[in-house]
Amino acid sequence: MPKHGSATRLLAYAFLAIAAFASLVPTIYMVDISLRDSADSFSPVLIAAHVTFANWSQVLSDSNLIGFFVNSGLVALITVLLTLVCVIGLSYAISRLKIRGGQVMLLVVVSALLLPLASLLIPIAKLLAFLHLTNNYFGLIGPETALGIPFGTVIVKAAMDDIPVTLEEAARIDGAGSFAVLAKIIVPLIRPSLIVVAIWQFLFSWNEFFLALVIMTETKVKTLPLAPLYYEGPFMTDPGKLFAVLTLIAVVPIVAYVVLQRWFVAGLMEGSVKG
Amino acid sequence: MAAGGSSRRANAGAWLYVLPALLVFGVFIAYPIIANIASSLVGPHGDVGVVNYTDAAHDAVFWIALRNSVLWVVLCVLFETAIGFVLALAIEMYIPRGQAIFRTILFLPMVITPSVIALVFTTIYAPDYGLLFGAFNAVGLANAFPAVLGDPATATYAVIAVNVWQWCGFFVLMYCVGMAQIDRELLSAAAIDGAVGFARVRYVIWPLLRSTTISLAVLGIIQALQQFPLIFLMTEGGPADSTQTLATYIFQTGFVLDKMHYASAVAVVLFAFSLALIMLQYRIGRAERTAHA
Repeated sequence: MPKHGSATRLLAYAFLAIAAFASLVPTIYMVDISLRDSADSFSPVLIAAHVTFANWSQVLSDSNLIGFFVNSGLVALITVLLTLVCVIGLSYAISRLKIRGGQVMLLVVVSALLLPLASLLIPIAKLLAFLHLTNNYFGLIGPETALGIPFGTVIVKAAMDDIPVTLEEAARIDGAGSFAVLAKIIVPLIRPSLIVVAIWQFLFSWNEFFLALVIMTETKVKTLPLAPLYYEGPFMTDPGKLFAVLTLIAVVPIVAYVVLQRWFVAGLMEGSVKG
Repeated sequence: MAAGGSSRRANAGAWLYVLPALLVFGVFIAYPIIANIASSLVGPHGDVGVVNYTDAAHDAVFWIALRNSVLWVVLCVLFETAIGFVLALAIEMYIPRGQAIFRTILFLPMVITPSVIALVFTTIYAPDYGLLFGAFNAVGLANAFPAVLGDPATATYAVIAVNVWQWCGFFVLMYCVGMAQIDRELLSAAAIDGAVGFARVRYVIWPLLRSTTISLAVLGIIQALQQFPLIFLMTEGGPADSTQTLATYIFQTGFVLDKMHYASAVAVVLFAFSLALIMLQYRIGRAERTAHA
C-alpha cells in the first residue's frame, strides 16, 4: 500500500466514521423506539431519556409472532437447500460432464439474472393458484428457488471450472461414478462458493416481500416481511411495540451476517481471484 | 473427452443432474415470461390484440410510472456507484486497519428486511415527531421542514434515498473485493510514473475496476427497477400516484384494480425496458474495452 500522510489517513477515518454512523442510525433509532415508554414514543430524538422493556415483554409473549418466524425459517431453509441442489447439479453437468447444449442452458439461465421479479409476478400468481399452491410454503419456495438459480449458477459453475480435471480423473480410475466424484471431490472443493450462494439465497428468501404479499394471504402462513403490515394497524398508536417487532425481524439477518460475513467475503474474494 | 460410447452414456446421466434446475426454472421463470406476453395480448373483453398497450400509451399514470422508473435507475446507479467507490477507496487504500469493521457496518443495511426499513424510514421522515424533523428543529429550521413523503415534489426522492442508503454497502463490498485484487506492484510502478493522489484514482484504479463497475451497474439497474416494498409501504404509490413505478403499478393494476391483462402489458414493458437498458450497458462496456485495447 502506498504511504499516506497522517492527515490523509485521519481524513479517511473521519469520512468512514460518518458513513458508518449514517448506516447505523436507522437501526439505533429503531431499537431505541422499541425501548421507549409511551410518553416518549413520539419525541423527535435519536435516543430517548427513559428506557423500558415493557414493549418487549408484551411482544415476546405474542404467539402470532412465533408463527411468522417458523414460516420464514422453513421457507428460507428449504429454499436454500433446493437452490443448492439445483445449482450444483446444473453447474456439474455443464462444467464437468459437458452436457450437450450446456452452453445454451447457461446463457438462458444467466440472462434470467436480469429479470425483475415484478415482471413475472402476475403469471406466477396465476400459476400458483392453478396448482393450489396459494397460501402454501411451496408457493414461495418454488419461485424463490427459481430466482436463485441464475446467480447461484454463475458463482458455482465458475468455481467448478477452476478445479483441475486431474483430480477427477484419478477418482474415476479408482472406479468412482459421476455422483461419487461430485459428492466426494467437487462439492468439498467449492465450499466457499456454496457458502456465498447459501447466504445470499437465505437473505433473499428471509427478506422477500413482494411474492409473499401476493401469495400468502392467510395469517397462519405469512412470513416475517409481512409482519410489519400485520402489526402496523393494532400498534398504530403504540410505536414502541411495533418497533420491538421490527427489531426482532431485523435481528436474525443482522446476527447471521455478522457471524457469517467472514466466509461470505472470503468466498467473494476467492471467486474474483479466479474469475 | 472420453470416446463416443461412454460420452453418450455420460450425457444420459448428465440430464439427471440438470433436471431439478431446468424443471424449477422452466415452471417459474420460462413459462411465466411466455404466459405474461400472451396474457398482455388479451383485451378486457377477451379480444386478442394490442389494446392493452394502446391503453397504456393513453394512461397518464403509466407514463408517471415509467418516468419514475427511469429516475430510480439513474439516481440509484449514480449515487450507489459514486458513494460505494469512494468509501471502498477509503477502506482499501487509505486506512491501515479496521477494513473489515467498516465493510461489515456499511453492509448491514443490505441484510435488513426491506419492509422493516420502510417503516423505520417512514417514522424518520414523519412530520412533527420524526428523527429528520428533530434534526431540522435542532438547527432552527422546524418551519422549513417539508412534508417529505406527503409532497409529490419530494416523495419519490425520499424513497430513492432509502434505497441508496440500503444498497451503498453492497457497492462498497464489491468495490473492496475488486480493489483487493489490484496488484500492489502495479500501483507502486504507477506511482513512480507520477500517478499519485487523484491521478492514481482516475487513471489507474478506476479503469482497473471497469468490469466491477459494469456488473454493479447492471445489478443496480435491475434492483432499482424491481424495488417494491419501500414504495408500497412508504407511499403506496401516492400522493396522487406521484411515486408510482412500473413495479408498483403492476401490483396496483393487477392485484388492486384486478385488471390482470393490462398489468401484464405493463410487466412486458418493464421486461423490455430492463432488457434494453442492460444491452445498452453491455454495449458501452464492450465499446470501452475495445477502445482501450
